[in-house]
Amino acid sequence: MEKVGIVGYYQVKLHSDANYGRYEMIFKAVRGAVDMAGLKKKDISTVISCTNDYYDGRTISNCFTVEVGGGYMADESKVEMDGAHAVLYGLMRILSGNHKLAVVWGGSMPSCFPYHSTRLFETDPTWERPLAYVNDITSAGFQMRSYMEKYGVSAEEIASVAVKNRKNAAKNPLALAEVQNSNIDVKEVLASDIYADPVTELMVAQPCDGVAAILLAPERQALKITDKPVWITGIGYSQEAYYLGDRNLYESKSMELAGKTAFESAGIKDPKSEIDVAELFEAYAHEELILSEALGLAEKGKGASINSEINGDISINPSGGATSGNPPCATGLIRVIEAARQLRGEANGYQVNNAKKAIASGQVGMCAQNNILFVLEGGN
Amino acid sequence: MSEHKVIVVNKGMVRADYNFWVGRYLDKFFDNLENKKIVGNKCSKCGDVFVPPRKICGKCNVVIPLEENWVDLPDTGILKNYTITPYRVNDRTHRKAKDLLLGMIQIDGSNTAIVYRLLDLKPDEIKTGMKVKIEWAEKPKGDPSDIKGFVKM
Repeated sequence: MEKVGIVGYYQVKLHSDANYGRYEMIFKAVRGAVDMAGLKKKDISTVISCTNDYYDGRTISNCFTVEVGGGYMADESKVEMDGAHAVLYGLMRILSGNHKLAVVWGGSMPSCFPYHSTRLFETDPTWERPLAYVNDITSAGFQMRSYMEKYGVSAEEIASVAVKNRKNAAKNPLALAEVQNSNIDVKEVLASDIYADPVTELMVAQPCDGVAAILLAPERQALKITDKPVWITGIGYSQEAYYLGDRNLYESKSMELAGKTAFESAGIKDPKSEIDVAELFEAYAHEELILSEALGLAEKGKGASINSEINGDISINPSGGATSGNPPCATGLIRVIEAARQLRGEANGYQVNNAKKAIASGQVGMCAQNNILFVLEGGN
Repeated sequence: MSEHKVIVVNKGMVRADYNFWVGRYLDKFFDNLENKKIVGNKCSKCGDVFVPPRKICGKCNVVIPLEENWVDLPDTGILKNYTITPYRVNDRTHRKAKDLLLGMIQIDGSNTAIVYRLLDLKPDEIKTGMKVKIEWAEKPKGDPSDIKGFVKM
C-alpha cells in the first residue's frame, strides 16, 4: 500500500452549547487544518464530510456545507457514520491516485436537537422503534451489565476508567469544560444520576458541539508539506449483527477483527508491547475496557487491571478519550487527531513519552456495533 | 460574544408518515402474536432459532425459506440481561419519575434475545438467569405491543 500521511489537523474547543453556529465551526476546523499545513483553498482537491441528516435537521445536509467545508468547486462526498470512517474514505480517495490533498471533516451540534431521540431512528422501524425500549441509553446499560456479570468486574473498576479519562481531560485544553475535573473520584462517578443502570451519568461520553478536520496526502506530497508527517500504516474495519439480542455484549468481536486486520497490515505482532498510545472511542467507560481487550491490550475481562494512565503500561486515551467530549460524527476523527498529536509530540500537558506507534478507533451503532481502527506512525 | 441568541425553532413544519410494511416473515410473526403465540424460524445450517423470524441467517449467509423451518415456541424464557432507566428518549422532557425496568429475554427454544419491559418486579428482585413469562396485551393488535412485558414465573 502506498503511504498516506496526515499533514494537518484542527479541532475546535468542545462546548455543550457553543456560542457560534455549526457552519462557523466547520469553517474554523477546516481552515485551521489548511493553515496548519501552510496550504490554501486551491490546494484542496477532494473533501470528505461527515455529518448525519437527522443531527443536522436537513436532508443531504452536506449541500449546505460546500463553502465552509472547503468543497466549493471541488469534489466532495459525505460519510454518514463516524468521522473515523470518513478518514478511511479520504484515504481511499488519495490511494485512487487522483488526488493530492484530501480534507476530512466531521462534526455536529447536539445543543440544537434532542440527540437521544434522533438515535431512535437507528432502530428497526418494524420491530423495536414503535416501543422505543431499545435505544442508545438502554443498550449501554445492557452492555455494561453483560460485561460485569460475564467477567465479575465491579462498577468501581468501570467508574475508575471515567475518573482517569476525566482527569486526563483536565489536561486537554480542547475538552468539554464540564468534563475537566482533576479532583474527581470513583465515589462521585457512582453517585451521579442513573442513566441506565448500572451506567451512571459520569460514565457517559456526553454528546456536545464540535467539529474537527484533518488533511491527508500521498507520501511524496506529504513530505513536501510537512517535516512531521504521521503515516497511516494499518486499517481494520468490521461490524457485527444488528440486533442486540444476537450479540455477546460483553465483548467486541468486530473490534477484534478490525484490530487483527490493522495490526497485520502494519506488521504489528504484539500490540500490547508495540503500541505506545491508544486513542479509543469509548461512548461509555465500560467500552474502553471492552475495546482494549478486543485489541489484545489486556486479557478478556482484565481491562481494568492494566495501568492505562499517561505513561502507564499503555497510555489509553491520554486526551480523555470520547469522555473529554463526544461531538457526534467528530469523535472518532478526534481520536485520530489526538493520536497524530501524540506522535508529533504536540500533546502539551498530556504528552506520552517517546510515542512512536499509536492506534485510534472510531465506532458507530448501538453498543459499538461497528468499529474501525487505524495504526499511525510518526517520523519521515 | 453576544449574550442574546436568535433561535429559530422548526417544529412540525414537515409531517411525513412512514408506512413500513414489515415483510412476509414479520407478517407471519405478528399474525401469531395477535393469537398470543410466538413463532421463530430456524437456520438449516447452524440450527439457530430466531425470534423475531428473519429471512437470512447473517452468520451462515443462508436464506431461510418462507414456507419452511418455522418453529412454534412457548411464551416463557430466560432473563439474559436487564437495565433500569428513568429516561424516556422518545419524550422531549427526557425523564419521568417512574423507572422503566427492561430485560433482554431469550424465549425458550430460541437463540436470540428480545427487549421488553419486566412487569410486577422490584429492581432488587431482578436476577439474570431467572425464568420469565409473557404477559399478553388484553386486546392484541398484531404488533410489537401485543407483548405487554414479562413477569416472573
